[in-house]
Amino acid sequence: MRAALAQASLIRHRARTILAVLGVAVAAAMLLDMVMLATGMRESFRELLLSRGFEIRLAPKGTLPFDTDATIPGVSAIIATLRKNPDIREISPVLGASIHVLTGNRDVSGSALGINPSVQGDYELLSGRDVTTSDALVASDHLLRQLVARVGDTLNVATGYDPQTRTYSGQRKLVVTGRVRFIYGATDQSSAAMRRETLEGMNPQSRDRASLFMVRVRSGADAEQVRDWIDKQLPDVTAISIATAIAQVDERLSYFRQLALILGAVSLFVGFLLVTTLVTVSVNERVGEIAVMRAIGVSRSHVVEQIVLEGVAISLAGAVLGLALGLVTARYLNTILSAFPGLPMAIDFFLFQPRAAWSALGLLIVSSIGAGIYPAWRAASLPIAESLRREAIA
Amino acid sequence: MLLAFLLASLLAQDSSSVGRSPNAAIRRQPRTIAIDDAFAERAHLKVGDRVSISVAPGMAGDIVVVGAIVKRGADPSEVARGDLRVRMHLDQLQAVAGYGDRVDRFAISTTPAADIPRLIDRINGVAFGFQAYRSRDIAVETSRTFQVVSRFHRAIGIITIVASSVFLLCIMVLKVEERRRDIAALRLMGISRATVMRAIVIEAALVAVLGSALGVAIGWAISLVVNWHYQALYQTPLAFSIVTAPTIAFAVSLSLLLGITAGVMASLRLVRTPPLALFGR
Amino acid sequence: MSAVTEFPLVSLREVRRDYALGAERVHALQGVTLDVERGDYVAIVGPSGCGKSTLLNLIGVIDQPTSGTVAIEGRRVEAMSDREATQFRLRNIGFVFQRFYLMPILSALENVALPMAEAKVPKVERLHRATELLKYVGLGNRERHRPSELSGGEQQRVAIARALANGPTLLLADEPTGELDARTGTEIISLFQRLNNDGTTLVVVTHDEDLASAARRKIHMRDGRVVDA
Repeated sequence: MRAALAQASLIRHRARTILAVLGVAVAAAMLLDMVMLATGMRESFRELLLSRGFEIRLAPKGTLPFDTDATIPGVSAIIATLRKNPDIREISPVLGASIHVLTGNRDVSGSALGINPSVQGDYELLSGRDVTTSDALVASDHLLRQLVARVGDTLNVATGYDPQTRTYSGQRKLVVTGRVRFIYGATDQSSAAMRRETLEGMNPQSRDRASLFMVRVRSGADAEQVRDWIDKQLPDVTAISIATAIAQVDERLSYFRQLALILGAVSLFVGFLLVTTLVTVSVNERVGEIAVMRAIGVSRSHVVEQIVLEGVAISLAGAVLGLALGLVTARYLNTILSAFPGLPMAIDFFLFQPRAAWSALGLLIVSSIGAGIYPAWRAASLPIAESLRREAIA
Repeated sequence: MLLAFLLASLLAQDSSSVGRSPNAAIRRQPRTIAIDDAFAERAHLKVGDRVSISVAPGMAGDIVVVGAIVKRGADPSEVARGDLRVRMHLDQLQAVAGYGDRVDRFAISTTPAADIPRLIDRINGVAFGFQAYRSRDIAVETSRTFQVVSRFHRAIGIITIVASSVFLLCIMVLKVEERRRDIAALRLMGISRATVMRAIVIEAALVAVLGSALGVAIGWAISLVVNWHYQALYQTPLAFSIVTAPTIAFAVSLSLLLGITAGVMASLRLVRTPPLALFGR
Repeated sequence: MSAVTEFPLVSLREVRRDYALGAERVHALQGVTLDVERGDYVAIVGPSGCGKSTLLNLIGVIDQPTSGTVAIEGRRVEAMSDREATQFRLRNIGFVFQRFYLMPILSALENVALPMAEAKVPKVERLHRATELLKYVGLGNRERHRPSELSGGEQQRVAIARALANGPTLLLADEPTGELDARTGTEIISLFQRLNNDGTTLVVVTHDEDLASAARRKIHMRDGRVVDA
């Protein structure tokens, strides 16, 4: 009966109910978006880092991977040291460099990774062959578009540019054997990859040097322990575990997390305020009705229950609508933030995680219960005779 | 870029431990460097401290003295990076880094009457291995990050305005409906629809004016808190939030417009309903 | 003399009821003493503001006396907690108001069933009883109509049926014909007569002379006092 009364009451004031549902939906959408923003970057980044299974990265001391042009010397010695740890399964040294592809009337600049194709974790092959020979090169679609080139074409690739003498330290013809998607690459990045020896050969200064090592640990091994071991064994490099990398990125993007927290709290508060206002106005209009219900023997708690049910119904409907609205606005906002220069295209700022989303919407609904209880209880506790007298006068 | 090398390799020594530094490092009387305040705080350095400076960890370096601690510039690109900055005499840095007689860039200031585009063309005409740009053009090119952030803020602002409009309309409808009997009584007395609407709209406008004034005061206070918080968090004098006269004018105009519109829409519904129906008959 | 003395259904002893009206203190009842026996049909009459409705509210356990005692079926009203008073009203008292106060969002049948739903009467049973009650008051064919679709007299009859929902021992009515025309008022008076003949104890507050005359007993009030019982 109480549910029927609540439903009938909501239907009676259709316009008011629809507006309230819309209001709660907007609050729910914003709350959902902020929850997605607060957790999205971290989870998206974690998934990205773990996508190829390398749990630890080694970078030049005091830097993050590819933060600077600095390189780590003694690749062979470092690999030998790392192999002493039985928990380390695979090591992938990566050398980064700027390249220029000379096309006659112009040259196109980009970045290149020198890798070992059997253990690389930087790209996935979309078509063609990997860099199995020393003259092979794989490229991103963006670079190929800029060069108007395709798989099978031969490119004149140079590296080690000296702006003063306008010469290159190394130049070589390489054949495009495949199209790749660089996992950590930005959308508009012109990137290529070749065998590490090939890139070293083109730039003698980078011989036996690496920009980064990616380390895969044995299944079941504690990555943090391995990281600590590497720290002690190789004090001249910075070992970064997934957790450390995420913490460092967190720090750089803390602004968005804090913004998410503040706007999320405001959304929750506004939703609460809306339901409180709605319930208050609703009961103020029905003081006489409520007094009569009390007079004919309906208990205070049952009156409160019926009124609170109205608030809950509005919040539930608003939450469902808000979920859809929130996903749409999240996609729009994600598109804006994905334009950050240099951001890997695989990173999402807004990531839908069901558990977090349901918790947020559940919190909104619980707060709507709280929002309805006080005005409902107050109305149900008014002296019956006085309320009836006031109604008679009114 | 060059400066980045120094991030990895600054070792702090106090003035009594000069004798411990590598012999090869002492070439001349210690020269001075300037470090930023964040660096001084993190490394517990003060003016007069001696440090060894090199481009790689464990390498022999030069002994220098901290001659000055400078406040960080309000450079947005440095925010959240956590970089630590050192200023050295150019020739010393070139020597320490093995850079030779090279620099990364020149910064040129011109006389007020200078014809900048012509100057740039002249420089580029004789340039050998470098390119001249207007500082403003580089700023635009490198400010993509802030353009993204600005767009994001604008999008959030638009969403907030839309959300606020819905809330405002909802609450206005509820509040006006609460007075349906009063409105019905006025109409039954012979007061015209226009007069009733005018009264409600004036009330909505007054509430909007008061609300705007309160909102501006709250916004200004929050702006202070935001700057205080983020300046401390990122150790930067950069202003994250600025309340300007145009911003206030825009916010007040918009809230007035929304408030009055909400009042009009809410009252239109009721004045169109026959008075007896408002009484529930 | 019988071994067990039956006490009155309603018993008031030196009942006073004061309440604040702005800065003033209003003495609505000033020491009222009266009894209502089982099966009685009592009309309480008097000028406006004499305390009739206040007296009815106290008998109906929707208000508490400032001093004195009110006993219904031997139970002291002022000793009841809110929960006890609510339950007591639900099962023992039926209230009919001048303005009917039906739930506008419920049909006639649902309005009558409402107190039974609160008393946890199973759905089938309460709908059956509500149908019977509507037939009793002559509205068997108006079950599904909302109050806005009923005339004043019909609404009042639905209100009476609702008051009878849980089979109360006492039916209270506050100006039940106040909003009705003469003809409809007569119908309600007849209905009350039938109820009393069928054993329901009635206490009615009224300005309506016809209604007052139909009662077996008249209690006159003036300035918060019973002047003639």
